[in-house]
Amino acid sequence: MSASQSAVRSRAEAVKVSRTFDYMIVFVLFFIILGGYHIHYMLTGGDWDFWTDWKDRRLWVTVAPIVAITFPAAVQSQLWWKYKLPFGAVLAVLGLLFGEWVNRYFNFWGWTYFPVNFVFPSQLVPGAILLDVILLLSNSMTLTAVAGGLAFGLIFYPGNWPVIAPLHVPVEYNGMVMTLADLQGYHYVRTGTPEYIRMVEKGTLRTFGKDVAPVSAFFSGFVSILIYFLWHFFGKWFGSMAFVKAV
Amino acid sequence: MAATTESVKADAAEAPLLNVKNMILGSLVYLVFYAWVRWYEGVYGWSAGLDSFAPEFETYWMNFLYIEIVMEVLTASVLWGYIWKTRDRKVMSITPREELRRHFTHWTWLVMYGWAIYFGASYFTEQDGTWHQTIVRDTDFTPSHVIEFYLSYPIYIITGGAAWFYAKTRLPTYNEGIPLQYMVAVVGPFMILPNVGLNEWGHTFWFMEELFVAPLHYGFVFFGWAALGALGILNIECTAIAKLLKKDLA
Repeated sequence: MSASQSAVRSRAEAVKVSRTFDYMIVFVLFFIILGGYHIHYMLTGGDWDFWTDWKDRRLWVTVAPIVAITFPAAVQSQLWWKYKLPFGAVLAVLGLLFGEWVNRYFNFWGWTYFPVNFVFPSQLVPGAILLDVILLLSNSMTLTAVAGGLAFGLIFYPGNWPVIAPLHVPVEYNGMVMTLADLQGYHYVRTGTPEYIRMVEKGTLRTFGKDVAPVSAFFSGFVSILIYFLWHFFGKWFGSMAFVKAV
Repeated sequence: MAATTESVKADAAEAPLLNVKNMILGSLVYLVFYAWVRWYEGVYGWSAGLDSFAPEFETYWMNFLYIEIVMEVLTASVLWGYIWKTRDRKVMSITPREELRRHFTHWTWLVMYGWAIYFGASYFTEQDGTWHQTIVRDTDFTPSHVIEFYLSYPIYIITGGAAWFYAKTRLPTYNEGIPLQYMVAVVGPFMILPNVGLNEWGHTFWFMEELFVAPLHYGFVFFGWAALGALGILNIECTAIAKLLKKDLA
């Protein structure tokens, strides 16, 4: 191979080639990251994400952001720090939501006939936008982890509130008070459905009444900070260009 | 003049840098095939897939399983064997243009890997959740598992392996050794298939509540993380392609 030879015939062709690679790279990254992120998310927080009767004010609010901040942090560690592309978190989250929505429609509804308003996925885009914007403006991994991680946890419940609020209104059914979401679960029995209404607001959280969700979100934000740090470094390791001689 | 005419003729006869037709055709193969698979699930999941002791289960699901396993072993052997057999033994002496063309072909393979990973790790894996929340399993080879574990996972393994073999046998970039993250991105998701052994052992040993977040499933999670090895491939490829185009883009 001669170093003086050119791979392209003109500058115009070089630009075209470069753009074509950009499109192919975005497509490949979107779908491969989607696959890894989706299998991770569905098996660490999936049950809270599948069903509205699991979307409670305590565990859903706590678990979902903690397990969801992982891949966005890892993707940001490469897209921003190597290419200055400020959309790593949004790219990862849009991939996850694409995979989830296609599934909930074609499989949860299309194969097993659960209504879509019982199985829609959690909304994660507001938190992802905050992560990307904070990283873009600060150019700081530490600030993104601390401020972005906390914001990712705190924004989760408000971000989902417009959709979930109507399903959290109380109803009385067979002499019991439950939420509308609980009633959905009561009518759509699944193999994993216990023979009781899940009572997740235990301890003094319940006596705090309306504060359950904010307290859970705050705790979730705290753990999200730590997880962001961890996954930023995971992302750096996964982005390494090391070659080994033998495996 | 004659030389110019020859050069123009050579350009016209030269293969395109990116064979768009191949990429579209390859993508259609995955899309059409999986659309057919989903149709098959929809029809025969309910009509023949509820009771593994029924004769129709053997006809529509166990035979599907036997056929797909044979086809997968054949496909992997022929495809990987072909790519290896036709390898370039003088890979370090190709022209920069040929190298660029091969990077495009390599990325076409990666596009196929993107489709295959999507259908395997996302579409059919989460689908498994809703099927088993609806139908009580009485076998390891449920309609959902026959497709998810024994069809969609081998397909992405075969596709990932093909991309890996292509890169190793045709691109100078990968001649200096074994790219660690490429291995992670291909072998990690591959390990999800052997992990099915743990999964099935657990599901048959403990009659578990059908929770997707059960610790038994964490093996899938761990190996799913390996998809992030795509970031390493991205960095290696961007460096190699930038080297080829740098002079002309300056």
